[in-house]
Amino acid sequence: MQQALATLVIHDIKNSLALLESDLEQLNHRSDAPEEARKAYQRCIELKNRLISFLTLYKHEQGRLIPNIGEVELTEFLEDMIDNCQSAPPAAKHGRAIDIQLKENQIRIAPGVRRKGVGSFDEYLVDLALESALNNAVRYAASRVDVWFEQDADRLTFFVLDDGPGLATSDNIKANTPAVNPDSTGLGLSLCKAVTEAHGGGCVSLANAHGGGALFTMELNTVG
Amino acid sequence: MQAKQSAANNVADIIGGKGDAVESEYIRFDQLSALVIDDMGAMRHALRSQLQWMGMNQVKCLANAKEALDELEDIHYDLILCDYNLNETSSGQHFLEYLRHEQLLSAKTIFVMVTAEAEYAFVANAVEYAPDDYILKPCPEKRLRARLIRLFDRRNFLASALTAMDEKNYLLVVSECDRLMSLVTDERWVMAALKLKAEALLALNDTTDLLKTYEKALSLHDNVPWVKIGIARVRLLLNEPAAAEQMAQELIAHNPNYVAAYELLAEIKKLQKDEEGAYKLMEQSARILPTAKRFRTTSESAFLLGKLDEARKLSESAIKLSSGSMAEHPDDYLSLAQIQTDMGDHQGAIHTLRNSARKYEDKGSFGIAKNAILAQAYYDAGDTASAKRLLEKSQRLLTPQSDSAAMNLLGKAAFKMGDPVLGLKMLTQAVQSSGEERERIERHVTKSMIDTGQDDKIDDVIDAGQKRILVLVNEAKKLMHVAQFEAAYQKVLEALEIQSENIEAFLAVTQLHLLWLKQGGMNPEVQQRARNYLATLDQLLPRNEKVMGFYRFYNQLTGE
Repeated sequence: MQQALATLVIHDIKNSLALLESDLEQLNHRSDAPEEARKAYQRCIELKNRLISFLTLYKHEQGRLIPNIGEVELTEFLEDMIDNCQSAPPAAKHGRAIDIQLKENQIRIAPGVRRKGVGSFDEYLVDLALESALNNAVRYAASRVDVWFEQDADRLTFFVLDDGPGLATSDNIKANTPAVNPDSTGLGLSLCKAVTEAHGGGCVSLANAHGGGALFTMELNTVG
Repeated sequence: MQAKQSAANNVADIIGGKGDAVESEYIRFDQLSALVIDDMGAMRHALRSQLQWMGMNQVKCLANAKEALDELEDIHYDLILCDYNLNETSSGQHFLEYLRHEQLLSAKTIFVMVTAEAEYAFVANAVEYAPDDYILKPCPEKRLRARLIRLFDRRNFLASALTAMDEKNYLLVVSECDRLMSLVTDERWVMAALKLKAEALLALNDTTDLLKTYEKALSLHDNVPWVKIGIARVRLLLNEPAAAEQMAQELIAHNPNYVAAYELLAEIKKLQKDEEGAYKLMEQSARILPTAKRFRTTSESAFLLGKLDEARKLSESAIKLSSGSMAEHPDDYLSLAQIQTDMGDHQGAIHTLRNSARKYEDKGSFGIAKNAILAQAYYDAGDTASAKRLLEKSQRLLTPQSDSAAMNLLGKAAFKMGDPVLGLKMLTQAVQSSGEERERIERHVTKSMIDTGQDDKIDDVIDAGQKRILVLVNEAKKLMHVAQFEAAYQKVLEALEIQSENIEAFLAVTQLHLLWLKQGGMNPEVQQRARNYLATLDQLLPRNEKVMGFYRFYNQLTGE
């Protein structure tokens, strides 16, 4: 009974958030939309994403996170994600403009890959995970964030690099820390880990990059 | 992003999907029309605004599938955005299946399902009639626009073939798809063209080319459900049930919810006369994706196996799920009432027909069947006078065009009430006029005879000669699918010697000649025979959709 009630409440909150989000989107389309409207829209999206992240983690803990595997064109997928992130830049609230780029010259596809540039995964789940990593990078970046991927025969790896201050050495994370504080990167990394595990495993990490800044990586072991 | 700045004017680049730079000018949103179906007013409003921001002026919003259905009967839209959760009885998926099944969607219409996160994975994995895309709500305008641009890009690429598809000019669809595929290298576009080509070849019943098309798709992509189910179906047509079964099992191993695979396995079991096995598979598919149609067919299968309890439950589920929706069907009440009668629940049967089904008029085949079942129920309840009146009423409604299924019920009632002359006449007629439904009707008739203690006369009704015709026609079809036209022709001629106006045999011989012309070239003798068979069929089955399809095929082949 409790479970049923919880499901009902969460469903209701999600629906209300969805409606609030579309109301705010409409408001922002007006030429005289105040700055506050944009902030409210942004906050609403963040809240929704956080709720979905929690639900996804919960599902994973219950062993019910089953990815819906489809074929995804990787460049298009990342371009869409970047577009989406840029159209509502969380960076703006920090008072800086952050340039997010798909770093095409970093993309590497191993010769043994059968379908070059096409990955097999649940695009919604992976999008959810990468978006949280991307938003996190934008939050700490000084001026730019680079995104790219590497494709091997048995593995697909996504990278997000920012030019921010990086992490204190002790913070280097191999994500298996449980989500404690939803405001910290803990939730985002736990979510990425859950999504990776649901796809058959792989490594998720956040570490200092050689040339400065923080580098996020997320690996998906591809089956078959 | 950089790619978007390098303006590509090359047409091949544009149709190859490489020319992102020109995409937004290429898609003229202001010239496209859209239909939004959602039961929540706020959601409709939000989607309408988003489409209007893209420049679409012709956006219509409706709250339910019934209104949408009326709308779609008259108008073709470029885009349909449909909420998955329409109401408790019908989902967006039911609606899509219905539209595709009734051929109410233009090949050019793009159908996008709008879902909440929870439903999405389940829906996407289970269905064969997939929408062109799914979007998760709420979807920001930018993302929706990016999706739509891709979908309309693909549609524009296939435009000439899609137009031919709408005109049912399947030969042209095939040649257009081949031409378009030669222009592009992008695999996704090639796959889209292969899929459309396969649909056209399926309509033409051209198994040989169909298999080649699926195999080409399989070589590009080894794990796409529509390719695998397609190959499995062709293998079955080619009389290779073991290969078909293996492919379907493989499909289920990857997608445990893919109902079409279960349904194909059920079909294989039926061919192997394993009705029990077929029933179990059908039950499974109805459990995975419950629709009125699945409950209906599973209930019928249970009924024929004598599993009356299960049949009743399934039949009630079919009624419950379809009541008040577009999938509602008067036959469901007839099936339920017959099951109730057979279970000895005459009051229940009478209630079903007199109350629940009272909105349907007491005429035509429905009237025959309804009164025949009521006659049985009153007879069982001991009211022989009413039973007799009802049986006479049922008989009065008979016409030469009455349904075989209704005649079967009338025959059963007659036997039950001690009129073997009428019983025998009705059941024999039911079998003889069953046409393409012969196997199904034969099973019903056989059951009626067993139920009324007429086991010894079964062979007289379903006579041996008819069985032989069926065997010959089936053999001919198998030969036709492997392009052995001459041998196939001999088999049908043999069948036509037994009965000169057998419809099954005529349909087979006509189709055989059309494929013969397509694959073997324009032999004047074959062409002349094809024309003659078409003329005969037209007399036997006036205004029949299948025969009209044959005519179109013939005209396209010969240019007449």
